[in-house]
Amino acid sequence: MTRAEIEAKILEFFRKEFEIENPGMDDDLRKIHGFDSIDAIELLLEIETLLDSELTQEEKKRAMDIRTLNQILDYTVSLAKARQT
Amino acid sequence: MGRRVVITACAAITPIGRSREEILHNLKHGVSGVKVLREDDVLTPYIHSKVFGTVDYPIAYDFKRQHRKTMGPVAYYACQVAKEVIEAAGLDETFITSGRLGVAFGSTHGSPTVQRGIYKTLFSGARSGFSSIGAVDYLKSMVHTTAVNITKMFGITGRVISSSTACTTSSQSIGYGYEMVKYGMQDAMICGGADEYDTTTVAVFDNLLACSTAFNETPHLTPRPFDEKRDGLVVGEGAGAVLLEEYERARKRGATILAEVIGFSCNNNGGDLILPNINGIAETMRLALQDARIPADAVDLISAHATGTRMGDVIEAQAIHAVYGNRPPVVGLKSYMGHTMGSCGAIETIIATYLMDEGYIVPTLNLEEVDERCAMIRHVQAVRDCPMRIAAIQNFAFGGVNTSLIIKKWQDH
Repeated sequence: MTRAEIEAKILEFFRKEFEIENPGMDDDLRKIHGFDSIDAIELLLEIETLLDSELTQEEKKRAMDIRTLNQILDYTVSLAKARQT
Repeated sequence: MGRRVVITACAAITPIGRSREEILHNLKHGVSGVKVLREDDVLTPYIHSKVFGTVDYPIAYDFKRQHRKTMGPVAYYACQVAKEVIEAAGLDETFITSGRLGVAFGSTHGSPTVQRGIYKTLFSGARSGFSSIGAVDYLKSMVHTTAVNITKMFGITGRVISSSTACTTSSQSIGYGYEMVKYGMQDAMICGGADEYDTTTVAVFDNLLACSTAFNETPHLTPRPFDEKRDGLVVGEGAGAVLLEEYERARKRGATILAEVIGFSCNNNGGDLILPNINGIAETMRLALQDARIPADAVDLISAHATGTRMGDVIEAQAIHAVYGNRPPVVGLKSYMGHTMGSCGAIETIIATYLMDEGYIVPTLNLEEVDERCAMIRHVQAVRDCPMRIAAIQNFAFGGVNTSLIIKKWQDH
């Protein structure tokens, strides 16, 4: 899965589930869009579905410092690559 | 002696409507909210009772996602009625977030719709390798979901009480809220209960042979509290909320006072968890009168629990007679909407408040031929004018829990 494909799916998820339309890729999601810990957990479940793979506890903990969409994409792409190797 | 506690706003979602006008219209005209049980494709094929007290009118799902995301249908009902009482009472932001406003609100299960989704995921094996229960599923399905979604939505920082005692859930909410304000722990409490469409509850009562089954083709003719042909209860859905305030505070801010809560009791039968118990029920009525410091003959209206079961109605009638004799009129409001479970105590308190204010009594619907074993009390079989000052609302639950609330019509003192 390419970064562009992941971006499209994540943005669609944000629009549909979080009702966040066209967020800036470097917006602080918490400050600007009210993204909270519950949303973060929901997003991790969506990433598991996207990758068709369960995340480890360590991988999930790495996500706790994420603040922007670009960081989400970096994180998801790195998970995808790890699963290809 | 504690502080005086008054009701300054109320709101309900019931099978016979939402607004005071609509509810009173349907009560006066004998309109039933009992409809055909909606299919759920899981339990309904096995349930013998095909009737349900149904909320079938649209309710706007208009909360911001930030609040909505932790709500199942039951919390949504709860937040709707809580929002209405806050708006109707005109509470200001400073007071709402002061820590002096608390919430006493509950439901029977949390959200059974959400719980069902969790079980479906688990037992279907779908996404079995993943953490397939959503982060919000617990927040939607936990037993105190109604109370804490209300606190979250309005930023309420006071006490939280979340009774989950089936049929006495919201009468306990009001009673415990009353005690919080009476004894100075809080200055106001949002109190009530809610329950959503749920076939699990129907199945439970159906298994116990407690549900009505003889009127599946004519839902509006059941339940029939105290009637010779009654054949069981009808489960329903709904929500009710009242705002209780300390009297001096309400007076100073110029609040409209609807009624005063003057007494509450709660006890347990201390034994069987299902069968009604005349001694326990009669005792809770006496305890409420003692708390209100009034004699039994001061009560002008009894809102009976009156679910329409063969045995429960007889025991309740005997208990009422033992405590009140045959003087006060007795009405079973579940006859109009079924048993709305966690919300019934609040809804019945709200309706008793309306009726005292209006000065008329409505009949127990479908009470055509009084069962002779229930005939020792004064039943209401037609709408009639009746000035009232004091009403008792009684509810009894599985687990042997009994409550009685006593409210007084508000008159300028």
